[in-house]
Amino acid sequence: MELKINFDQPFIEEFNERLHDNGPFRSYEMFQLAYETAKTLAVPQFEGLQSPKHLPHMEFLQHQIECAEQVVQDMNGRAILADEVGLGKTIEAGLILKEYMIRGLAKKVLILVPASLVNQWVKELHEKFYIPAIAQKKAYMWEQYDVVVSSLDTAKRPPHRDIVLNQEYDFVIIDEAHKLKNHKTKNYHFVNSLKKTYCLLLTATPVQNQLSDIFNLVTILKPGYLGSYEEFSNTFGNKRTALKQDEKLKQLVQNVMVRNRRQDTGVHWTKRKIETVWIDFTKEEQAFYDKLDNDLLSKDTFTAITLKRELCSSREACYMSLKKMFEENEEKYTNKAWGEQMIEQIGQLPHHSKALKVIEILKQKPNEKFIIFTEYRATQFYLQWMLQQNGISSVPFRGGFKRSKKDWMTQLFKNHAQVLIATEAGGEGINLQFCNNMIHYDLPWNPMRLEQRIGRIHRFGQKEDVNIYYLAIRNTIDEHLVSMLYEKINLFERVIGELDTILQSLNIDNLETEIKEIFAESATPGEARIKMENLTAVFQNQLESQEVTEDGTASYS
Amino acid sequence: MEQLAIHNYLHSFFTLNKCKIEENVNGKLTVQLTEELDRLLMNRPFYWEYIKKMGQEGTPATLTFVSNPKYKDTDGEWIHFGSPRLHQIFRSQLEQGKYTLVYEQAREAPLKPWLVVNISISYKGRQKKEELLSIGLQLINGTMVLDFMEKLKPLQFSNMISDYCFTISPIIRIPSAYKRIENYVKEYIQEQDHSWAEDANRHFEKEKDILEHFYKTYLENATAEEKEELTNRFESERKDLEKRLLPEVDISVINGGLFYISDSSSSKIVH
Repeated sequence: MELKINFDQPFIEEFNERLHDNGPFRSYEMFQLAYETAKTLAVPQFEGLQSPKHLPHMEFLQHQIECAEQVVQDMNGRAILADEVGLGKTIEAGLILKEYMIRGLAKKVLILVPASLVNQWVKELHEKFYIPAIAQKKAYMWEQYDVVVSSLDTAKRPPHRDIVLNQEYDFVIIDEAHKLKNHKTKNYHFVNSLKKTYCLLLTATPVQNQLSDIFNLVTILKPGYLGSYEEFSNTFGNKRTALKQDEKLKQLVQNVMVRNRRQDTGVHWTKRKIETVWIDFTKEEQAFYDKLDNDLLSKDTFTAITLKRELCSSREACYMSLKKMFEENEEKYTNKAWGEQMIEQIGQLPHHSKALKVIEILKQKPNEKFIIFTEYRATQFYLQWMLQQNGISSVPFRGGFKRSKKDWMTQLFKNHAQVLIATEAGGEGINLQFCNNMIHYDLPWNPMRLEQRIGRIHRFGQKEDVNIYYLAIRNTIDEHLVSMLYEKINLFERVIGELDTILQSLNIDNLETEIKEIFAESATPGEARIKMENLTAVFQNQLESQEVTEDGTASYS
Repeated sequence: MEQLAIHNYLHSFFTLNKCKIEENVNGKLTVQLTEELDRLLMNRPFYWEYIKKMGQEGTPATLTFVSNPKYKDTDGEWIHFGSPRLHQIFRSQLEQGKYTLVYEQAREAPLKPWLVVNISISYKGRQKKEELLSIGLQLINGTMVLDFMEKLKPLQFSNMISDYCFTISPIIRIPSAYKRIENYVKEYIQEQDHSWAEDANRHFEKEKDILEHFYKTYLENATAEEKEELTNRFESERKDLEKRLLPEVDISVINGGLFYISDSSSSKIVH
């Protein structure tokens, strides 16, 4: 076959010029050492990974090395890395990128990650891979630097957008790529328009809602590989289950996706110790809770659920909503007196029973670090104040913090404070392996979120067993959730990633909505209980059947 | 590269660059940099700018490199094959040792000119590999010798011609000699096993077909405006694909020089 051969021309012209000008010329020894250098750096074979030789300080795990080999040798450098949370997708991506850089195939590199992860990526690329990455801060950096890390949100906005789309990237990495599952979004369109040679998409949940998620991800990497959308949906439908039931699809996806599951890695994991802490409301609190329930349930069920959940967290959270509710919808709540009365009553409640319990737990282990997760900002403020009153040092953490502030807070927590109080948004993207106690102050209704929270501390690098506390208040909405959904199916003990599979196979888009609807649409607490029991039963069923066909669920790994 | 080789490499590098070696024990090397190397390695242009403005000499840094694990905990920079520092030095060396003009240290002999070119060939398909060729071409009679750098090893060279030696002018001009080398390399490449390229090409064709089919399906039902966008996208995707899978051979010159060598040494090299 005809081969394309490019010959480096400038050498001989420059050499000729130097001969005419009598130099400058270097000594024979200099010349020889340069040749030896080139010999040292040359990679004489196609096969095998070079990158581990350059990174002797790193201990890579078997599945990480295998993943890198597979992507480089079999997938030609375009792949979805879909390991379960905590197995080191970042490490795999770093290994692959390093390999292409060593072999001189990647110079211009773009890494798009959630804003909260930018600094972490830069740091890891430097420390673990000796890759001189920089965090994008000014518009000129896109062109000036070779390896740039940025958030997708920044990159896709003007004035950056046009600059970025103009670059020809050798290598693009997208972290948390499940954000690209919808092909109609700006994110998707932007990533699809990038000029890129090699490309890695990282996600722990390649199929979140529907089968088209995987179609869209694969289409970014290899347009047409799964056909046009119409061809694809005609052949495979749109049920998530197809991914593990349809042999042909499984085969196709295997060629572009690497998925390791925790149980396949053969790595020893530290234990999770789970403790559900039951708390009783004080009389006053319970009375207020019941009143909310009685007065509102028939009128506005969704609001009632929201307020009750908030009251299970803190007076403050509930108060904020109540106040806002009355201010914004004065005409809707004709019963102004009722509102005023409630607001006044809530102000008179004593310290929240849950908060007091937290203080108790913290004081039992004064020398250990804790992370507390709450869903509400108001609760976060309240807890901060409460801890301070009790002489316990804490730092807050929120998704809205700027990158530098997040890093700063993490450092403060590591070096100076006993407790980190995070709101939900803080769950993604911070690694806190140096801490091994976690308190779920309120429970998210979406168990996937719970997994993400725990994944912050129960991951590679965690040396200790992990203690996890769930706080739940008896005779409240908390109790339903914990006793049914969480306890009956042992959700707390289950390993990361398993849940992902269960939800997929049940075709439940959003467990939170599901539960909310159960509570909202039930006329009586009894009815809600029965419905919850049904849901739990479905779960249990699925779990049992899954255990039988365990290899079936893992088979697209 | 083994740790010992790294130590020896660093020693050669700093010696050749006229740095003072302050300590050289088994796997630990302390060097006083020259100003030139300080500017190259220490990344502190403002210091030098300032010091020169003040009319002072400046003090180049002293560095300690540790390549023996035994001394890992002592002061000094732990250095291994992946160290950014080592690669910085590699780059600098490649840059610096690019051109030479040297004379064999022979006794009372006519020296004949050889053009020496060290070449790196990279074969790029689904993966990439490199091969180095070291070629010498005698500029009087056109003899070509491979593996030239190896064969030069027993000889001594200097940038100055020794007494009682004289050079003979080339008959073959440098550019045409280079052309001969270039042609040789091209032939050499053609003779190699090309299965890697065929394999890459197969993958390329397969993915190209998929890509074409994909866009064709969408183009059929597209509006004029969509058509333009789709066509642009398709072109861009195809270019990406070519870059990724179309087999290619890149030849670049590592370094090259003019070597004047005596007949007696030449005949040893040729045979």
